[in-house]
Amino acid sequence: MRAIHSSAPQDRRETEEPRRRAACKWYSLPRFDADPAHTLTDNLIEIEGLSFARGDRVIFNGLDLTVPRGSVTALMGPSGTGKTTLLRIIGGQIRPDEGSVRVDGREVTRMSRGELLDFRRGLGMLFQSSALFTDFSVFDNVAFPLRVHTDLPEDMIRDLVLLKLNSVGLRGARDLMPAQLSGGMSRRVALARAIALDPKFIMYDEPFTGQDPISLGVLATLISGLNRALKTTSLVVSHDIHETTQIADLIYIISDGRVIGRGSPTELKHERSQMVQQFMTGAPDGPVPFHYPADDFLEDVLGAH
Amino acid sequence: MLRLLRLLGQEALTRLGTLGRSAYVLFWTLYSLPRRGDLELLGKQLYQVGVLSLAIIVLSAFSIGAVLALQGYTQLAKIGAEQSVGLGVALVLLRELGPVVTGLLFAGRAGSAMTAEIGLMKTTDQLAGMEMMGVDPLHRVVAPRLWAGIVCLPVLTLIFNAVAIWAAGLVGVDWLGIDPGGFWSGMTDGVEMWEDVGKGMVKSGVFAFLISWIAVFEGYDALPTAEGIGNATTRTVVYSSVVVLAVDFVLTLVMYGEFK
Repeated sequence: MRAIHSSAPQDRRETEEPRRRAACKWYSLPRFDADPAHTLTDNLIEIEGLSFARGDRVIFNGLDLTVPRGSVTALMGPSGTGKTTLLRIIGGQIRPDEGSVRVDGREVTRMSRGELLDFRRGLGMLFQSSALFTDFSVFDNVAFPLRVHTDLPEDMIRDLVLLKLNSVGLRGARDLMPAQLSGGMSRRVALARAIALDPKFIMYDEPFTGQDPISLGVLATLISGLNRALKTTSLVVSHDIHETTQIADLIYIISDGRVIGRGSPTELKHERSQMVQQFMTGAPDGPVPFHYPADDFLEDVLGAH
Repeated sequence: MLRLLRLLGQEALTRLGTLGRSAYVLFWTLYSLPRRGDLELLGKQLYQVGVLSLAIIVLSAFSIGAVLALQGYTQLAKIGAEQSVGLGVALVLLRELGPVVTGLLFAGRAGSAMTAEIGLMKTTDQLAGMEMMGVDPLHRVVAPRLWAGIVCLPVLTLIFNAVAIWAAGLVGVDWLGIDPGGFWSGMTDGVEMWEDVGKGMVKSGVFAFLISWIAVFEGYDALPTAEGIGNATTRTVVYSSVVVLAVDFVLTLVMYGEFK
């Protein structure tokens, strides 16, 4: 059982003062809306003319995309279209070849290494693999960003960690190690860690992949609920049409390095584009062909004889 | 012919790229300033890298010291110079075998572990996760391991030398019956602090820096797959071993010079 750091307060004002100072320092961490010099718009993220290639393979070719502040926006599209790469570009882990990526008015592509580290304190990211620290317990995983980025006393960190874990329903699992968690629980712990510093913007990379129906529902409810409760903006990369259309305010469908469909879930269901329809209905053949490009079938099979 | 030239050019560019990335990792690792909690991280790595390597260092040192005494005695007794076994063993250990063998053992035990650990953290997105939380993995993960390696190897070399000399004394004096006065006084009279002990430690310091750099870089640069980590771990041991032996030759040439 984790030791609780507490001492009987002799004088309430004396004990409250350091806590208040620490809390003030915590709340003075760089936030997206903390700098009045930044240009604020109704869009938290604005991407213009984004181009990126890996070797000869073009991933994005002049991509334009905006994410409205306070929304749950989903990025969908066939596998290998670079949705995760786009999250990494927004987070500054990958620099694009061309184009502009502005988050809350700040140009991410021109940030220095130090500026990027500061900028990322204001965002949360949920990785597909959860990315929990395997040598840390659940509690220490969630406490990690608080311990690194704040001077909060340990008893206050404990309170905050328990609040975050409670919000994902895993307060009782605080002493478990990541190896003892199921896939769904791992993702919920990672979510608690991602919201530890109350970020203004959270990115979710395939949060529903490999989850059982119950975990799927729990995660969808959490993403939607946390977005409202924390007044954040969420960007969700997902293949799961059913769950995503339940929680998303806006959906982008990306294919061949560009946006082929944009709109609310209802709008996209009535979209005329065959490619969008194929994706939304999960049809096996269509503009995205079932067969990998090959020679004529009969010629290929019979030609050898 | 043109194809061969193109392949050679590509290989040279790849190697140059790797060298550039390793210099980048080293620069930002050394550049990051110490912060609150860093001593705790360093302490943990000193334990992982240093204390956990003690067993293999002590066992190997005992074995090598004992063998050197046996071989020295066999040869020197033929010309009635068995009193010189102590001095011979000490010089060989302090100048060459101590730093080199400890370096090789360190690369195999601690270097490979550092590479595998960092590589696995990369594969499981732990390093990327840290970056996205605004925490620099070069500062948090790589730097403590690099510094722990740089601090631990010279200390392990000192321990290796001491244990090996003690083992040589055990075999030479207590077992083979060499006169203890001749054995120990020959050693203390013949060994010079800077020429033998100091220069040996300089070698050890250089090896520590190179092995630790190779180990942390290979882990940080590993392909995030099971095979990638396996290859990176192998490269750490192979490159470290080759570098230790090659640099040992250069350092011996430079420090002990005037061989003509």
